[in-house]
Formats: sequence, C-alpha cells, structure tokens
Amino acid sequence: MTRPTEALHTQEMLINMGPQHPSTHGVLRVLLRTDGEVVVNARPDIGYLHRGLEKIGERVTYAQFMPFTDRLDYLAGMNCNCAWAWAVEKLAGIEVPERAEYIRVIVSELNRISSHLIAFGSFTADMGAFTPFLYSIREREVVNDLFEMVCGNRLTYNYARVGGVSADLPQGFLEKTKEFLDYFEPKIDEYNNLISYNKIFVHRLANVAVISAKDAVGYGLTGPNLRGSGVKFDLRKDEPYSVYPKLEFDVCVGTGERGVLGDCFDRYMVRINEMRQSVRILRQAVAQIPEGPVIAKVPRLFKPAAGEVYFRSECPRGETGFYIISDGTTNPSRLKIRTGSFVTMNIFETVTKGLMIADIVAVIGSFDIILPEIDR
Amino acid sequence: MEALALKLMSAVPALAGVPLWAMTLLVMVVVAVILLVFALTFGGLGSYVLRKVAGDIQVRIGPNRVGPYGLLQFLADGVKLIMKEDIIPAKADRFLFVLAPYLVFVGSFAAFVVVPFGVGLIASDLNIGVYYVMAVTSLVVIGVLMAGWASNNKWALLGGMRAVAQIVSYEIPVGMALLPAVLIAGSLSLQDIVRSQGGLLGIFGWNLFHNPFTFFSFFLYFTAAQAETNQTPFDLPEAESELVSGYNVEYSGIRYAFFFLAEFGDMFVVAALASACFLGGWHVPFFRAETLPGVWGNLLSLGAFLVKAFGIVLVMMWVRWTLPRLRVDQLMRMSWKYLVPLTFINLLGVSLWLLIFRGKGIPQLIASIF
Amino acid sequence: MGLREYINDIVEAVVTTAKGMRITARYGVDAKEEVTQQYPEVRREPEERFRGFLHNDIARCTSCTMCVKVCPVDCISLESVRGADKKMVLVSYDINIGRCMYCGLCVEVCPPKSLTHTAGYEKAMFERGEMILRFVQEDGAEIKARVAKQVAEAAAKAAEAAKAAEAAKPAEAANPAVPQPANPAPKEGLSADKTAEAAAKAADSSAVAPGGAKAEAAKPAKADPEKKA
Repeated sequence: MTRPTEALHTQEMLINMGPQHPSTHGVLRVLLRTDGEVVVNARPDIGYLHRGLEKIGERVTYAQFMPFTDRLDYLAGMNCNCAWAWAVEKLAGIEVPERAEYIRVIVSELNRISSHLIAFGSFTADMGAFTPFLYSIREREVVNDLFEMVCGNRLTYNYARVGGVSADLPQGFLEKTKEFLDYFEPKIDEYNNLISYNKIFVHRLANVAVISAKDAVGYGLTGPNLRGSGVKFDLRKDEPYSVYPKLEFDVCVGTGERGVLGDCFDRYMVRINEMRQSVRILRQAVAQIPEGPVIAKVPRLFKPAAGEVYFRSECPRGETGFYIISDGTTNPSRLKIRTGSFVTMNIFETVTKGLMIADIVAVIGSFDIILPEIDR
Repeated sequence: MEALALKLMSAVPALAGVPLWAMTLLVMVVVAVILLVFALTFGGLGSYVLRKVAGDIQVRIGPNRVGPYGLLQFLADGVKLIMKEDIIPAKADRFLFVLAPYLVFVGSFAAFVVVPFGVGLIASDLNIGVYYVMAVTSLVVIGVLMAGWASNNKWALLGGMRAVAQIVSYEIPVGMALLPAVLIAGSLSLQDIVRSQGGLLGIFGWNLFHNPFTFFSFFLYFTAAQAETNQTPFDLPEAESELVSGYNVEYSGIRYAFFFLAEFGDMFVVAALASACFLGGWHVPFFRAETLPGVWGNLLSLGAFLVKAFGIVLVMMWVRWTLPRLRVDQLMRMSWKYLVPLTFINLLGVSLWLLIFRGKGIPQLIASIF
Repeated sequence: MGLREYINDIVEAVVTTAKGMRITARYGVDAKEEVTQQYPEVRREPEERFRGFLHNDIARCTSCTMCVKVCPVDCISLESVRGADKKMVLVSYDINIGRCMYCGLCVEVCPPKSLTHTAGYEKAMFERGEMILRFVQEDGAEIKARVAKQVAEAAAKAAEAAKAAEAAKPAEAANPAVPQPANPAPKEGLSADKTAEAAAKAADSSAVAPGGAKAEAAKPAKADPEKKA
C-alpha cells in the first residue's frame, strides 16, 4: 500500500530561527528547512557577535589583552583569563609561583561550577521547566559574591596576570569557599530529583542527536560534548597543566544511561557530574594551597622572545586554545583563538537531520554553546 | 431564567407591569454580565496568583509593587494592554485575524453557562450539561487555527497547527474521564451530578471516593484538562522558548489580552468541572447548605464550590511550574496511547462496578453494613 | 511495547513528577527561601575590592600618563603642561565611563595611587556626553594661562637671580645664603597638607605668598563629590 502522503503535494517550509530567539544562546541564526515539524536541513548562521578580538589582540599588549579574554566566554571569565596567562607564560618561559597556580585552579573550578549552572539552568528553561533556572542562578550568585571578594567584579574578572594573579585571596575567602561547597553539594542531588531524571525531561533528551565517539573525535568536539559520547579525554588529565597533577578527580563520561550513548541526555549528565567533580577538586585545592607570592616578576613593558606557542586548557565549554605568534615586540603579531563552541557548530547541520523543531532547541542547549566564543 | 424573572416580578411590585419576555431578557443580560465580570476578574486575579505562585516556587517574590502585595498588578497590565498600539501585520488576513480572539474567548466563556456555582446558582441547568461543555470548548480550536493562519507568520502557523492537534486529541480523554461521574449520577446535567454526591456521607459522598475507577479517573481527567488548557507540560502552542509564543505571536494589545483571558477562563471551567464531577461541587462536607435560610445557603455553597475550583487551579499552576514541556509527537503519543486506552478501561470498570454493586460506591456499601 | 514497559512508563512518570512537585512545594510554601533583594530600598553593599566608577584624586596625580597608556580601550585622556617647578600640571583629566570596561588595569598601574575604584555603580544618564567624567573642574584654558604666567614669572625671576648672582659673585664671601625660592608657583593640585608644608617652607624663604597657597588648596575639594557617592 502506498503511503498516503506520497500522493499529496507538500511544501518545505523555510523558517528562520532568527538571531533574536528566546532559546538560541545568544545571537545565533538557524535557517530551518522543515517538512511540517520534521527538520530537513538546519544551517547555522554565525557572525552576529563578531567583534574582531583577534585583531584587537594585535593592537594591544599582552597584559592589556587580559580583559578581552573575559569577554571571550563571559560565563567562564576566569577560565579564559587563566588560559591566556598560561599561554603567554609558556611563550615567554615564565615560572609562576605555586600559590598563584592554586589560586588559578580554585577560581577556574568555581567558574566551571557557575558556568555549568547556567548551562543547566538555561537548558531546562528551554525545555519548559522554568524553575531550575532560578535555583541555579541563586547558587551562582554565591559564586559571584566570592569572585567579587577576590577581584572586585562579578562577571568580567580580569584576575589572572602574566606571571600569576593580580591580588592575593582576601581574608576569609577560603572559609567562604568551603561554606559554599558544603551548601552546594546537596543541591546537585536536588536538581537531579527535581528535573534531571524527570520522565518528561528524559524523554525529551534521550536518543536525540546521537553523536558517536568516532564522529565526535572526527568533528573536533571537545569538553563535555566529546565526553558525552563516551570518549574519555580531559585536558586536565591528558595534557596536565598548572597544579592539576596534584589533584584527584574523575573524568566524567557519558554512559548512555537513558538512551543511546552520545545523546543529549549524556551531554547534560556529564555537566551535572562535572559540577560534582569540581567540588571535589575545590575541596582539595582549598586544603592544599600553600603560602607564598602570588605573582612572578614580569617587566612592565613585557617583550617575549620571538616565536609561537599554542596552549590549550579545559574550559567549561571545551578546549580554549590560544595560538600566539610573537615577533619580540610588546604586542602579539598574530593571535588565534580556538574555542570549543565554534568547533561544535561544525556538527550542528549533520546531527539535526530528521529531528523535530523542538529537538533543535534541545540540541543547542545540550551543546552549551555561547555566541561570544563562536564569533569572537 | 423565566422562573427567576417571575420571582422578581412578584417580589418587586413596581415591575409587575413589565411583559414577561422583557423581564426574562433583562435577567438573562444581568446574569451574563455577572458571569462576564467574574470571568474577567478571574482572568486578572488568576494571572496575579499565577505570578505569585511562580515567585514562591522560584525563590523570589512575585509582583509586589502595584497596590498592596501587588494585587493591582493585573489592572496595570490590563491598562497597559489596552493602551498598546493595535498592530495588524500587513499581509495578514484582516477579517480572520480580528475574529480569532473573539472566537477563542467565546469558546471558553460559553462554557460558564453550565457551571454549577451553588445551590440554584447556575445560569442555565441544561440537561445536556457535560455534553454542551465539550461541544462549546471546541470553538477554541477554530479560533486558534484562525489565529495561526491569519497571522501570516510561520511560527504562528506551526503553533496553531500544534494547538489544534493537541486540543482535539485531548478532548477525547477529557470527555471519557467525565463519563464515570455521569454514569453514577445518571444524568448529563451538572446540577444533577453535584446533587448525586450529596447526603450525610459528607466528604465520602464525593465521586472521588466512589470506587477505585473514579479515583483513577480524576487524575486522568486532571492530566487531560492540563493539556486542554495549554499548560506546561502541554504548552506547545505557546511554547515561549521554542515558538516564541506560538499562535499569538503577532497579536498585541487587547487582542492578546483576549487569548490570555480565554486561557484563564478555560482553566476555571475545567477546574469547575473537576470539582463538580469529582469533588462534590458545591456541597459543604457534613452539612446541608439548602437548610440555611434565604440567600445564605446559596452563598455558602458558592463559597464551597469556589474553594474547590480554585484549589484545583492552584494545583494546575503548581504542576505548571514544575514540569518541562512535552514534544509534539510525545504529546500525541501520550494522548492516544496512554490516556485514551486508560479512560476506556476506566469507563468499562465503572460500568461493571455500577452493574455489580447496583450503583453504590465503597462508602455507601460500608455505610449500608452498619 | 510490552505491557510491563507500559505500566513502568506510567509509574515512572507519576513517581518522578511527584518527587519534583515535592521539591517545588517545599520552596513554594517556605517564605524564608525568597532571595530577592528589594532594590532600591535594600541596596547591596559592594565588597571592598569592588571595581566601580573610577575616581582620580587630582591633588595626588602626577600626570605620568601610565593610566592612559595601559587602558585597553583608551577611555582616559589627560592634558598637562609643564609647570614652573619642572613638574607637570594637569590641565584636564577625563574618563569616559561609557567606554571604560572596569578592568582595573589603570588603578593597578598608577604610581601615586591617586586613581582608585569607587563603590559607585548607579549613574544612569540620558545622554552619552554626560558619561565623560571631568576630574579637573577648572577651565583648561585658564589653567594653561595661569601656568604660562607662572612659568614666565619664574623665568623672569630666574633671569633676575642669575643677574644678581653675576653681580654678587665678587661679594660672595659676604653673602653666603642666596635666597632659595622654595616653591615660587604653588601647583594647581597641591593637597592641603603639602600646601601647608610649602607654606611653612615659604615662611622661611620669602619667595611665595602664603595666602596664595591657601587659595589654591580650596580648589581640589570640588573633585571630591565623585568619591564614594
């Protein structure tokens, strides 16, 4: 029996999920060609937030570029700050004092928690459950308070410096961090009870946009997106930097617990579990941090030797890599920023074939992209 | 209405000379206006309560600036909506675009006619009560589809189509879940259904405790009702984060307000039906409200009814703020593969029970032993 | 789909929903859980290191232009002229807080620590022009004129003193102490205590009028309203 729709003349709809949309995480434009509710082709159109950061890098000095890295991934400002600092230190061969490295790890992991909280919150809000977003924001505010204590700002930190960090931890910071960790750890279980294992939520995410491990590696995915497909690769363990070798933690991988390995649910659970691991790292770092100086001696007009360096670090959204070419002057000669979200957009078109429109939103949320990272 | 008109004419001598048809018409208009005011006020205050409940659940305060505890927020919102520019998209189908909100509102408001507010407090006790409500709420479907199509906007069209699919699919479980109550009362009239739950058994006279099948039926009805009124987890037609507000995306000002009010009206109607059919309607537990003199009996029963209906509305809001949204195919699957078979089985179960136990529920059986 | 899976689905849906609803009910009922701060009645006090609006204590600023050079977005601009005592005198110091990215690099690098972050973050305005904070209140042209005059005066005095020194060279043994002009042109930006110091020094030498020094000290007070608003 022929299917009835073969005789019907249907038309493909071209829908513009425009730059202004409640659930594209920023100004992302997706051109959807759909056959009713089923997507035939979803092409992302980026560039609405391009600010020429790499060109700006050629115009300013190494120290002056630090505030710009805040705006690279504004939800993980500390991570990007530290990544830039590590990259420049690798270029110039500067030795960073141990206390500064511990401080960097502490603030990086705190920022990882707050970034994953936003990823979790906005993802569930896109799925229709508006309440967990508010809870995650409440937790994040405590982290913001901690950051305000340490560097003075709540979003654009500009805390790391070439050679260390700009100021030592204030009195009471470590105690407050421990308080936060004790307060926050049970909240993760609360989120799991409230929404993570909710049947409707699981149904929305299970078996949607499955990325096999081979595809994930082939398309260059990094971070939770890669680990959600079962690939156990974390830069903090596989290419350790800073004081991560001294800290014990597990690498969270997707397990296919509610559907196929590599679906949206796995990527989501990897982030939830990473928050738990970050708490673990923080407890150790707070206990192990030594006394000492917080910045190495770096000349005011810092001129590294000519050469090039590529340094990558594990940011909440994947691998953030800085490729710097220096010609011996105070400004970089060329600066290239490799971000996790940009490379993740590669697989977007492939993975959304045959999904429904509602799933597009789930996919964008599970990739946890952020437009400043994509567009720079 | 005629009876009321006659009573009024005999009670107030000045009106004796007025012809009966004029008096009846006047009474009808007055009752309609009262119901309209109630529907609009419920829409407004309902939105306020919705936001306050949302605030409480989401660890924040809801509206609290306009008026004491923010109670006048809905008036401020209403004034704002009225003052907004009335935008009709250039290529929109003007006639359908303008007509759609009214159809949707009429579909929801017309059901207020058979809502049993209290003893003798019902606009018109139609003997096809339940059937009438099911029929009239289908007008909403036409209105929503019109709104989606006439907006000349793909997002609105998608929202409209989804809404139609959803509302039509969930009408079946809604109707089927109400049938056990009809079977127990032996009549489609809502006042009859409420009266059948009366008696000195009090709270145990409710249809909810009549037999396990009606108990189950109540929850099936609640789920289907949540879908009928486009509340999360079934709020695809107006999925904020996906469809940018779905079928009412191109509507502004008072036209948008109509959709909004219709949604709250619908919520009240389904809650009223739930309380009338399962929770004993206007019966006050362990008390016969009819025994009170004058209008006090009416008012007491009205109070009891409203408490039950508003309670159901609150639970609907609570579920709304907890659960995520279902995808459209999962929604249809839930309706056709879960709710419809379950309500069928329920209906069968209730029929068998009534046959075996001669119409008596568990509480009555227990009472008849003593 | 088997019957067992079917029943499982329903049971799981009900159980997970009930768990979620219990959590939201707890939050819904507990009034203490509200975390909203009712701004502006309840204002959050920023932390000590908070990077609010910038404030430059003109009295201490040495016009070294380090802040101008280090700013990544070029939001600071200053103009200065060399005074009679070879020190720079600020003619104008503007910060465009609309462009400022509150990174704190300028505060870190300021040698006399005159540039600081305040705790201010509330400065809504209607026009972009209002976003340029001018820390030197006096008109630039006037300052330039006054400094030019002082430089001229000092140059004239120096010329005179040179001539007197020429004339007094043969009689050097009789007059060992040449009157030293301690601070012939009190700077625009001298703070009150420094001015007092200068005035004290001036009392020894006869080069400066103390009244003039005190009048200059009143001016820096105008820049203060910006501080910790």
